[in-house]
Amino acid sequence: MAQRITIDPITRIEGHLRIEVEVEGGKVKNAWSSGQMFRGIEMILKGRDPRDAPLFTQRSCGVCTYTHYLSSVRAVEDAVGVKIPPNARIIRNLLHGAQFQHDHIVHFYHLHALDWVDVVSALKADPAATAKLSDNVSNAPWGGVNYFKDVQQRLQTFVDSGQLGPFTNAYWGHPAYVLPPEANLMAAAHYIEALRLQAKAARMHAIFGAKNPHLQSLVVGGVTSVKDLTPDRLAEFLSLVKETHSFVKNVYIPDLLAVASFYKDWGGIGGCTNFLAWGDLPLGDKEPDSLFLPRGVIMRRNLAGMKMAEQEKVTEHVARAWYEDGGPKHPYKGETKPLQENPQYRPGAGKYSWLKAPRYDGEPCEVGPLARVLVAYGAGKKEVKPLVDDTLEKLGVPVQALFSTLGRTAARGLETVAIGEAMEGWVMELVDNLKNGDSSTYTSWEMPDTGMGLGLNDVARGALGHWIEIENKKIKNYQYVVPSTWNLGPRDEKGRLGPVEEALIGTPIADPKRPLEVLRTVHSFDPCIACGVHVIDPDSNEVYKVRAT
Amino acid sequence: MDHPHIMIMGVGCILFTDEGFGVRVVERLQADYEFPENVSLVDGGVLGIHLLGVIAQADHLIVVDAIRSQGTPGDMYRLYGDQIPARVRAKNSIHQVDFLEALTLCQVLDRVPDTVIVGVEPVDIETAGIELSSLIQSKVDPAIDMVLAEMDRLEIPYHRRNGNNVSGDTIEDCRH
Repeated sequence: MAQRITIDPITRIEGHLRIEVEVEGGKVKNAWSSGQMFRGIEMILKGRDPRDAPLFTQRSCGVCTYTHYLSSVRAVEDAVGVKIPPNARIIRNLLHGAQFQHDHIVHFYHLHALDWVDVVSALKADPAATAKLSDNVSNAPWGGVNYFKDVQQRLQTFVDSGQLGPFTNAYWGHPAYVLPPEANLMAAAHYIEALRLQAKAARMHAIFGAKNPHLQSLVVGGVTSVKDLTPDRLAEFLSLVKETHSFVKNVYIPDLLAVASFYKDWGGIGGCTNFLAWGDLPLGDKEPDSLFLPRGVIMRRNLAGMKMAEQEKVTEHVARAWYEDGGPKHPYKGETKPLQENPQYRPGAGKYSWLKAPRYDGEPCEVGPLARVLVAYGAGKKEVKPLVDDTLEKLGVPVQALFSTLGRTAARGLETVAIGEAMEGWVMELVDNLKNGDSSTYTSWEMPDTGMGLGLNDVARGALGHWIEIENKKIKNYQYVVPSTWNLGPRDEKGRLGPVEEALIGTPIADPKRPLEVLRTVHSFDPCIACGVHVIDPDSNEVYKVRAT
Repeated sequence: MDHPHIMIMGVGCILFTDEGFGVRVVERLQADYEFPENVSLVDGGVLGIHLLGVIAQADHLIVVDAIRSQGTPGDMYRLYGDQIPARVRAKNSIHQVDFLEALTLCQVLDRVPDTVIVGVEPVDIETAGIELSSLIQSKVDPAIDMVLAEMDRLEIPYHRRNGNNVSGDTIEDCRH
């Protein structure tokens, strides 16, 4: 007899997501992903000056402010037909690279690690044995018996205070946690170190961003960071890049490998079939060829058959989403018409989500670090392929293991390495340009009466596209298709499952009342559907529920 | 500490009516007042845990936000000390990883800013729109006064930009 489990909301994500799974024989048999918040920001944009779009869309998400800002600026630039100077391209890449470093570290340690690491078990670890383990597997600059004793004491105080914050509602002691106490303590220590690093990584954006959070230095035509292109600002940025990159190489990746070595079975759980990457970080103006993270689409896990991705093939479907019915539409023709009546949650055959269902050539596609790494791997990209092969070899798993929850989590770490490795070169390129007298950061342009344009990006969470239509110098239509819509969207009119729904099927569930395994796969996508309401709400206990019926 | 870092941070999403209250209050403070260098005004948006890096720099943190606390829309709140942890413990839902979590996490970093939350009970935080509701708009000035009262408590001088020195002291005289 199948059993239904509802997790509402999924915690340790940005936004409100409801996941429902049907479990039979200890495994997930069916799954539904439901975005519980309506966005509708497109509706605010109609009739406004196109130059306003970047500043509004920047606010549509709490975490991805820079990435929406960037995509939107690019869409308007495409519509008005302006090419930005090389220095502007480099500065945008540097800011974007910093965003990747920051987001991926936060995701691994603060949003995802607790699915694999049992903090309460860390309290039982032997500090001396932990110090030894740390010396063996990690290149972390911190360690030693006293260090781990101190961390353990601090955790104990934190746990004793009863204010667990993000540590509440976790499934401590769950049988699916398999790390020994010492590995748990080491990871918990690095959780704290990563918090410290986060404070520094945020400073990178402050240097060229004019304002942080909510950068203001991008404009249609280039960037405004003219006064920040001084030797000491550049040196400060470079030193933060290096410090962050050193953390990634010496702490993040060794932790990832250490944790993964205990969870190799997750190399066979949580995979999807199709993968899409718009690619990003242009190294010249000939896109998509110049993209450091290449563009491509992989269908049916056929790495050798990787093809160029074309935005014309994107459609959004609303048959199972809380919008007025209408056929599949390309974003240029996209509509945002929420149902007038109160939405009813009908996962069976009706509508059940505020997210639309994006499709590529009619197929659901996973987007994000795994899609990007697979596309780069398929393209034989030299900055990525050896890193992936080396990791597979270290873990002793075949390439097929990439199509999984473990593969997704590993891909995130590996691309952070590849990007961090490249960023130093970009800073030097900028320095050379300045030395050679090229300090241009802006190209002037004029607003046309009409125009259409799009901005394709690949951001921390995956493929992001903004589409704009201008009429009478104002926004006539604006649509964006965001990574979490690709990954967490619902079924379409043909009943094809969204990626996270597909990924959950087959997941083993040890205890339906504590569905830790579901959280592992959902979190591995780094869901971010905040885009909305955020109030301090002291009365929300009842909202949180894990219901097993 | 000679010059403790004072941070005034507005949080919330400006696209959802009264959700933008905190950010709007901070924008007004920025436009209308001048503060000494050790005071920073931050538009925190809805960055949640990603704000940790910013918060961790502060010695004193004054947060302005919409607070749903089963009161009447327009009610003003000042939360301090024990009142805040109570809410952290109660918090268990919509934004699991958010601003309050970031604040809690500061404890693990050994650096918890002394925090006051100034807030208003919102009318509408669901309708997409960049204007505050009229009732909540009328609470911007009272919220500014509450923030300035915190500055007085911390003995931090400030000027209105039109030249009136509200605190009555010159900035130089006020390095307590």
